Amino acid sequence: MHIPDGYLSPIISLGMGVATVPTWAVATRRVQRVLTTRTVPLLAVFAAMSFTVMMFNVPVPGGTTAHAVGGTLIAIVLGPWAAVIAVSVALIIQALFFGDGGVLAIFANCLNMGIILPFVGYVAYRLLAGRSPVLSTRRVWAAGIAAYVAITVSALAVGTELGIQPMLFSENGHALYSPYGLAEAIPTMLAAHLFGASIVEALVTAFGVAYLQQRHPEYLTSLRGVVAGADVPEGETSRRPLWQTGGALVVGSIILLTIAGLVTGGGDIGKAFGADWSQVDWPSVATMLLVVAVIALILLPLAWFVLPRRMRGVGTAFVAAAIIAPLGLIAPGFAYGEGSTEDVQAAFGYIPQGLHDLSSVFSAPFAGYNLPLPFFSDANAALWQQAIGYEIAGFIGILLLGVAMYAITGLIRRAGGRASDAASPRPV
Amino acid sequence: MSAVRDPAAQDGHVGWVEHTLAGITGSIERAVFTEEHARSRGWLQRVDPRAKLGMFLIVILAASLSGSIVIEVGLYAVVLAAAVASRVPTDFFVKRVWLGIPLFAGIVVIPAIFFVPGERLFDLALGPVHLAPSIPGLIGAVLLVARVGVSVSLAVLLVLTTPWADLLKSLQAIRVPQLFILVLAMAYRYIFLFLHLASGMFEARKSRVVARTSGGEQRRWISGTMGNLLNRSFKMSNDVYAAMSARGFTGSIRTFNTYRMRRADWAALGGAAAVSTVAVVAGRGVA
Repeated sequence: MHIPDGYLSPIISLGMGVATVPTWAVATRRVQRVLTTRTVPLLAVFAAMSFTVMMFNVPVPGGTTAHAVGGTLIAIVLGPWAAVIAVSVALIIQALFFGDGGVLAIFANCLNMGIILPFVGYVAYRLLAGRSPVLSTRRVWAAGIAAYVAITVSALAVGTELGIQPMLFSENGHALYSPYGLAEAIPTMLAAHLFGASIVEALVTAFGVAYLQQRHPEYLTSLRGVVAGADVPEGETSRRPLWQTGGALVVGSIILLTIAGLVTGGGDIGKAFGADWSQVDWPSVATMLLVVAVIALILLPLAWFVLPRRMRGVGTAFVAAAIIAPLGLIAPGFAYGEGSTEDVQAAFGYIPQGLHDLSSVFSAPFAGYNLPLPFFSDANAALWQQAIGYEIAGFIGILLLGVAMYAITGLIRRAGGRASDAASPRPV
Repeated sequence: MSAVRDPAAQDGHVGWVEHTLAGITGSIERAVFTEEHARSRGWLQRVDPRAKLGMFLIVILAASLSGSIVIEVGLYAVVLAAAVASRVPTDFFVKRVWLGIPLFAGIVVIPAIFFVPGERLFDLALGPVHLAPSIPGLIGAVLLVARVGVSVSLAVLLVLTTPWADLLKSLQAIRVPQLFILVLAMAYRYIFLFLHLASGMFEARKSRVVARTSGGEQRRWISGTMGNLLNRSFKMSNDVYAAMSARGFTGSIRTFNTYRMRRADWAALGGAAAVSTVAVVAGRGVA
């Protein structure tokens, strides 16, 4: 997440100072008004803590590790303005002294991780927590979700900053700075965070708030109030039964899906999500669902018991994803995430160049994500036959991906180990 | 090779505890090493820190502005010469910069070579995959890596030749507020205390936990450690504040400044400005 020098044009990276420097000035003034002479020691010690927290390797589900930023946790405890200064100081020391992130890029990095992150995290936390009691479980969830949103928005900012470079600064057809446009930089940054660093940040923040509730609840009340000038609702712990939370989630998602379907279908529920549902052959869909259910009943427990303990959860989730993949066959026409480049072009009006080049790689062995055998992909094969073909293709795909990931992580680990022998660089 | 070195790696599982511990020790080691070099008697070490900060900012700016590979290579030669004149061991300096870069830049840059549209250098068909690096893509990639290399080298060289205290004082020259500088200085001092604390916590866990624990437990422990550090931070900041007010701290910050810009400092600053101007102007001409 730390942008090194050379990726951003100096005009952009110094121009970010227009946003960061005044924010620092306002933050300093606001913190000093509350803390007066305590400002310097408190901020210095918390900056040091923030630096230390950024060094922690947190185990990610699946066996690798990632770094946490901890900006949301600090913002929850100290308030956003003090968090801005604490995290920014930690980032400046990292850049100037430990070579993480560029010197000219300090403004950009401080904007992404030191300003956007704590503010988004704090605002999301306050919105989600509402006026719930300080010790309630809702605050733990609010903290986790807020941290997830905050670091994702911060990654989005990084992607945008990198993505506008080739648009603004190109010479004779080659990009002078970061080579990717918005269409590549933003999805890459988002995907890398949504399924990795953001989850880590969310878990760490949620557990951190839970720990503070248990051991040091006073930090979630008075001190934050002192620093941020906020009023904190007092109250007793209350526990909502799990079925209520689950039920609310299910009802909420059904409502959301219905609204989304109505909007995309132009108000006609028969044309929800832009597909013509009257053409669906429901009896064959029922057969397919039955077949899929039987496969799931056999394969899920099998995966759970066969896989080694370390990757049990993730592995079973992937198997489940492969099993439900053919549900996309129900919808006539465009299946989400499975469209060929022609579908994508029809929907979005253009094809990202990278997707175009890559698609030829994958379409070769499994045309249309199905096995090239007449039983599975024949024009008049039954829906459930196609579904099984989809699933087998999906499993093979997951296996290939797994092997590739394993090889790549092995290579990176080896390269990293060799590099750390000589100079011990830290992963960015 | 990695499997033999680390017993924890033998089952293909390098622990996050070891990772963190290695990171922490690496940082402390690096800081000690850096201070050592910053106090040796080379050319850059003798230059006034304010002049030095100006020089490095100007040259980094020039490296960022120039759009030519030739210029970047030339700037890198100048940086290397400065490093040699400042008695920074060249092999270490080169390694520290270039071993860290491929991890990030390589992952970003290599795909770009193939995706950037334009004339192709060659077209190697491997079944359905066409391995065809485009010429604009290659030029962009080399330029980016060269520029990142020069910028990182400059930042590393600045840090290697300037004690932290001097670097902070030089920030005053570019009008960074006193309060900010004091926070930076104190934060740097407490970082080592906290790194020490954290490494103690991780070592305690490493030496006591023998079973393989679940990911959830590990994350809960990490979060607990963070919460614990938070608690200690509050306590420590109170103690530090008490100590500061006992010694007469009233909120206003005064420093004494013994630096004087000598003729050699002005000459070095001027030289850096000249090199940068030449680099930027010539970079417009050379492709």
